[in-house]
Amino acid sequence: MNPFEFEFMQRALVACTLTAGVAPLVGSFIVQRGQSLIGDGMGHVAFAGVGLAFLVGAEPLLGALACSVVAGLLLIRMSRAGLAGDLAIALIFYGGIALGYLLSARAGAGQTRLVGVLFGSPLNLSWGRVWLIAVLAAAVVALTAVLYPRLVALAFNEEAARVSGVATDRIVLALTLMVSLVVVAGMSSIGLLLIAAMMVVPVAAAAQLASSYRGTLVTASAVGSSSAVAGLSVAHYLDYSPGSAIVLTAIAAYLAAAGAGAGARRLRLHRVARSAPAP
Amino acid sequence: MPAPRPVLELDAVTFAYGAVAVVRDVSLSVHKGECVAVVGPNGAGKTTILRLSLGLLRPDRGSVRLFGVATGSFRQWWQLGYVPQRAVASSALPLSVEEVVRSGLAGTRRAVRRGSATRERLEHVLDLMGLADVRRRRVSEVSGGQQQRALIARALVTAPQLLVLDEPTTGVDAAARAVLRQSLEHLVRVEGMAVVYVSHDPGAFTGLADRVLAVDDGQLVDVSAPVAPAAVRHAAAT
Repeated sequence: MNPFEFEFMQRALVACTLTAGVAPLVGSFIVQRGQSLIGDGMGHVAFAGVGLAFLVGAEPLLGALACSVVAGLLLIRMSRAGLAGDLAIALIFYGGIALGYLLSARAGAGQTRLVGVLFGSPLNLSWGRVWLIAVLAAAVVALTAVLYPRLVALAFNEEAARVSGVATDRIVLALTLMVSLVVVAGMSSIGLLLIAAMMVVPVAAAAQLASSYRGTLVTASAVGSSSAVAGLSVAHYLDYSPGSAIVLTAIAAYLAAAGAGAGARRLRLHRVARSAPAP
Repeated sequence: MPAPRPVLELDAVTFAYGAVAVVRDVSLSVHKGECVAVVGPNGAGKTTILRLSLGLLRPDRGSVRLFGVATGSFRQWWQLGYVPQRAVASSALPLSVEEVVRSGLAGTRRAVRRGSATRERLEHVLDLMGLADVRRRRVSEVSGGQQQRALIARALVTAPQLLVLDEPTTGVDAAARAVLRQSLEHLVRVEGMAVVYVSHDPGAFTGLADRVLAVDDGQLVDVSAPVAPAAVRHAAAT
């Protein structure tokens, strides 16, 4: 039986495929800048926003967006002032998740609801929520397309980009906003604690196979979306948590790509050695 | 007839990291068609002078002007080409040689970036730097010399009038260094570009620079030929 015959599975499929497809677009730039864990941290901080939203009766997505944007701005300011060391970042991120749980508990949010926010609950999405995720995903794609040359220049070398005339401060700000959008889009589908994996793992897999940045982006997006489809199917048949199944599928794709990449490199070296003239 | 305007001008520039003065009262003028080498040991302040020249640092005292404009107000970035140290080519993700070169256009407007003149310029710099055959290869997988030439091509893609290079010979073997020297000589002598490079190696591109300036105790000392070799060695050793 095709699991996607059910409407709740169709909603989950659209939401997860879109989220997992756009997350690596942003992830490629943060990986290249050596900030692979920033998405994880932003997810922690967004949880504080969710807790606050539960407490005041607001929309959790808005709370998550507001908190992650504020945390992003704070991190940029701290980085510019030379204060964004490991310890300071850890304090903000762990403070976020602790505050999120405290506020959620005060608001009387049930454990099921919290688990859904942290690890995703794509099977419970309404079409309205799916549309909202689609809008957020479209915003990420549009920003990536418009800013692509400047994002690549920034990711390659920030100082060289600045001397090329790129307004690096503004592009860093835009990138931070894009991370927040992905975190918020992923909150209901893959979960605040797992969405960061979809920013990084498909990129790591694609980097094994592609030979250009553009190729890495396209391949990573395809790996992310395919992992969502495969992960949801596995979750349906084996009754696993969908968010976990999607992330584990992406990790399996990375391992396969790493193996294929290593094999291809070995083959290339072997060919070079065979074609070299004998001494 | 008025004297030609310098493309780069440092006037009595002083800069300190906290209480440590790294650059003291440095003045320098570089004109079109001139090649200037700034040499000295690691930690002497060469890179600080370079970063001040590019507007990446603000001087505590004195002024820096690019093409007659204070660096704080300078906006004609296409006139300036910057070649960072080759270590930046060790990218975490695959970047093709052509993508590295193209990233030099990121600060230009979309219409310029997509214009036919820019496409021709891109082909020209890839040919000039001998990279046409490796343009689709990962930059991290080509030789050290090719990586360095990719970074220079990146800086040249906007047709700048001033090229600034940071340690261009680091990790580049003798043969590749000779090719680089030839390319830079072409840019200075044929295309009339101003070139400034900083290097810890006083022997980098021997004979190319019109002026060799050694960084000594935060100040620039002109050690150009005929006394250059001994004086440069002395400055580099201190």
